Amino acid sequence: MTGPARQRINSDPANVERGLVSLVLTLVELLRQLMERQAIRRVDQGALTDEQIERIGTTLMLLEEKMAELRDHFGLTPEDLNIDLGPLGPLLPTDPP
Amino acid sequence: MTEVLPAQSDRRIALVDLLDRVLAGGVVISGDIVLSIADVDMVVISLRTLVSSVSSLMADDDVLGGER
Amino acid sequence: MSAEGVWVYAIIRAERAEDRVTGLHGVAAEPIRVVVADDLAAVVGAVGLDEFGHDALHRNFEDLDWVANTAREHDAVITAVARFGPVIPVRMATVYLDDARVRKLLEHRREDFGATLCRLSGRDELGVKVFADPKALLTQDGDQDDNTPQTGTAYLMRRRRALASREEAYQLAAVEADRIHCTLMRHAVDGKRRPPPDRSLTGKDEVTVLNGTYLVDSDAVELFRETVAALSMSTGRLSLEMTGPWPPYSFAGEPIAE
Repeated sequence: MTGPARQRINSDPANVERGLVSLVLTLVELLRQLMERQAIRRVDQGALTDEQIERIGTTLMLLEEKMAELRDHFGLTPEDLNIDLGPLGPLLPTDPP
Repeated sequence: MTEVLPAQSDRRIALVDLLDRVLAGGVVISGDIVLSIADVDMVVISLRTLVSSVSSLMADDDVLGGER
Repeated sequence: MSAEGVWVYAIIRAERAEDRVTGLHGVAAEPIRVVVADDLAAVVGAVGLDEFGHDALHRNFEDLDWVANTAREHDAVITAVARFGPVIPVRMATVYLDDARVRKLLEHRREDFGATLCRLSGRDELGVKVFADPKALLTQDGDQDDNTPQTGTAYLMRRRRALASREEAYQLAAVEADRIHCTLMRHAVDGKRRPPPDRSLTGKDEVTVLNGTYLVDSDAVELFRETVAALSMSTGRLSLEMTGPWPPYSFAGEPIAE
């Protein structure tokens, strides 16, 4: 039985850097998604002032843009940013946001 | 609709469907006359928990210390 | 020489039991035989305890390939035996020390096994899974214009709408899955919903919204298949997959729906 293709950080030097970068970006992406959900939840709860909403929204927007730039720079697609936890499934949800 | 039909020796069985049935289905026989079934059950249960756990951390971000 | 145990595959009626296991081989490539007590028989095979004993099983269950192969062989024996009469599949990895103990089992649970065999007689198990494609679930996000600069507020509101509409889409899919399950229950003797399998095992991107399994009269299997096909056509956004017929693994215990 084989599962879906597993990402490996292989030892070919050209790929090592790419592998490490994708690992780092994956973690950043995880944090971004977490923060986004936190922010939205607090908006739903009415716990943020207009100014706070604007500030958090801008931060998240800039973060998403930065992520896109970094991905492009390293030739990574959004699907590349994930970590296969084996039987536990992927770290990040694989459906589109 | 796709379906998987059993032909005698050449049955395409999705592993996930099969494991679900042989590990969690079937009659359970327990008692002190059975060798190892209670312990194997525990191994099986932990394996099943591992393979059938609900997807990723993000599915329940309350777990990560958000408001609740 | 390694000690041996007795691996149990299934419980069947004693009548013509030996004929039903002729030529079959099991998880250790061992010949399959029967242990008889009164009107019941256990379908069994001798297995070496070096592979199938207490410690060995612990070890082997950590190995998914071993589990997969053993599961297939276990199921193959049960399926072969099920061709000729009712069968109670036994959960994988049930190993007895000797035949005498197997006989005691049959004597001890004679009534319970007898009743179960009657209940399962002439019936098959069919699995039906319903999937939603996350991309297809999403509603169009109105006047989304990715390239115009937005305020932080507009951005956050857009993300909030996107996540909310995904949530709503999943809920609609869940309601539709419930409807499908109810329809299938009307064509079955019994049925259960199981937790969805982990997506890493399904090898699909799709989300499982229903993982159902149904006990159906063997002569109603065709009608059930047609019902599943009709349901598949009636839903635009969900896809259905049917598996089986299986031996009745999921209905070997206490009946759920009376």
